[in-house]
Amino acid sequence: MRQAKQEAPADAGFQIAPMIDVVFVIMLFFMVMAGAVKVEHELKTTLPGNAETAQETELPDEVTIGVSETGEVSLNDDPLGAPQDKVLEGLYSQMVQMRKAAEQAKTKMLITVQAEEAARYERVMNVLDVLARAEITNVTFAVSETE
Amino acid sequence: MAGGGGGGDGEPEFQVAPMIDVLLVLLIFFMSITSSQVLKVDKNISLPVASHGVKRDDKAAAGLINISWDTTTGQAKYKLDDRELDPNDKDGISKELERRKGGNEKFRLLIRADRNCHAKYISKALEWGAEAGIDNIAFSGLNREE
Repeated sequence: MRQAKQEAPADAGFQIAPMIDVVFVIMLFFMVMAGAVKVEHELKTTLPGNAETAQETELPDEVTIGVSETGEVSLNDDPLGAPQDKVLEGLYSQMVQMRKAAEQAKTKMLITVQAEEAARYERVMNVLDVLARAEITNVTFAVSETE
Repeated sequence: MAGGGGGGDGEPEFQVAPMIDVLLVLLIFFMSITSSQVLKVDKNISLPVASHGVKRDDKAAAGLINISWDTTTGQAKYKLDDRELDPNDKDGISKELERRKGGNEKFRLLIRADRNCHAKYISKALEWGAEAGIDNIAFSGLNREE
């Protein structure tokens, strides 16, 4: 024991190499984690309501998108998306056409997403996501009672 | 330009100190972007995907309603921030939301619901918002599939 103490170097200084190793490992960990980060996005809607105005207001073109319990999506009662269809390409193209037509006619569009009581929230979000993709902002959400 | 590179008479030495500086800056950068995002995710709620939504604005005033889904009972559980809510206490919840809203017309109701939750439970939360006079609603979703 005494021998070992005597042989120890006098200057046990700060070792930079292991520190760099550790910093590299920590940095790699955070870099990998950064790639897997999920960011929360939000889709904005407004509640349907009534406003009192003195002037005559122009009624917007109203479109109703239905979401059934089974996940079927319909546009003004016409079936448009099967339950498995998450991208809803058909609905997207129709919405883009309608938006362009409304812009040309200088009218407002009002989209109501009407879901059945037991419709899954994920399906409603699929529809809202398509509307956001089609750059439609005037969206309201309502739930209809299942007969 | 010539002055920058010259000066030394031997081979240019590898400088450890600036390298550590750069490494630490990178480390802090990656630490900040990962931790700030991870903390916001409530693990009990599996959010649906909303890839085309706008990034959540945490600075704007909002009442956050978390709706988790119990698959065994088929019931939803509501939380206003961290506080559990009794869905039958409609008046109490509306008053609390109204108090939080104050006079802020831009105040919004942020719904974080589980993807399996039924629409009628979402509608209930919207009703509370409507009672409190909040008509700006935002639905939370993830930027990509889990």
